[in-house]
Amino acid sequence: MAEGRYVYCVAADSKAARLGNIGIEDNQVYAIPYQDITAVVHACAPTPYESQDKEVVDKWVVAHERVIETVQEELGAVLPLGFDTIIQGNDQGNVEQKVRDWLKEHYEKLKDTLDRVKGKREYVVQVSWDTKTIAKELIGSDQELKDLHQQIKAKSKGAAYMYRQTLEKLLGAKLEQEANRRFHDFYDKIGSCVDEMKVEKLKKEEQPRQMLMNLSCLGDPKEIHTLGGELERISNMTGFFVRFTGPWPPYSFV
Amino acid sequence: MPIDIHEDNLKHGLLGLVIALVEIIRDALKHQALRRMEGGSLTDEEVERLGSALEEIDIAIDHIKEEQGLSETVNSVRDGLDDIVDDVLDQMVNPERWAREMKEEENKNG
Repeated sequence: MAEGRYVYCVAADSKAARLGNIGIEDNQVYAIPYQDITAVVHACAPTPYESQDKEVVDKWVVAHERVIETVQEELGAVLPLGFDTIIQGNDQGNVEQKVRDWLKEHYEKLKDTLDRVKGKREYVVQVSWDTKTIAKELIGSDQELKDLHQQIKAKSKGAAYMYRQTLEKLLGAKLEQEANRRFHDFYDKIGSCVDEMKVEKLKKEEQPRQMLMNLSCLGDPKEIHTLGGELERISNMTGFFVRFTGPWPPYSFV
Repeated sequence: MPIDIHEDNLKHGLLGLVIALVEIIRDALKHQALRRMEGGSLTDEEVERLGSALEEIDIAIDHIKEEQGLSETVNSVRDGLDDIVDDVLDQMVNPERWAREMKEEENKNG
């Protein structure tokens, strides 16, 4: 029967090290090297891990993550692969040879990426704001909005409704402008603290909170306190919230 | 997974969908009314009448939503529609991403 190898990550090492039974479902994790890079794997059936039970899947994913972290601690640079990456052997071929062939085929690219992420970790920065608080501030500070707000008070019922819509529309446009301005400001400031950044899709939040930016950042853990300081300044601003997680293996940069 | 269809569930969902559509039509009407008002083609009296009518629609919709406990269903229908439109716009604005997704899809299939 054909065999498979579940691949956790690729690391910079040339030894066929054994890492012990730390894998998914306590599988023996070991390294298959090619020149000075190595794939960290365990032997498995050539079928993906699948379950309807969330608890079981959670356990697998945590184990996956833990192996990558262990390798990162020991070998410094690591290219994490996604959960359930399995290299399938065929009936006659040796599956370990297939893993080596895969490393060989992508050697240049894997090696370059490993050099780039060496000693670095991924951090996720999400900045949100409270649209209600910011809107109130804008109505207080923006002359155009202030005037319109005053005018509405003098209108009769139906007309006041219409002018409220105008105010809301104008407010929406000004909020968007403001969001754009803040985004660029934060982007530059955060960018100066890390080596690389990726702009991720925004996530939906509970009203009236709204996400302004969702960044994956690659940085050196020893330098990351400068980012911490920058984020603290942002979260001290009225109506702004920062969510910061990490260090993670550099999932978004491989 | 089997789809669980319960009569109340179905009614609730359908009503949510209807109200979501009514809201979208109301928003379109509002948009048109505003454009005309800002364009100056409406008399004061017309603005007043339009405003009152639209406000009544708002109140009626809110009333139905509250009475039937539909706010969440309506929001999720509208969010779902928003997401679809977002994706389509995103693909038009960022053709590279689109190309990449097509390629990934091809790789997956072949």
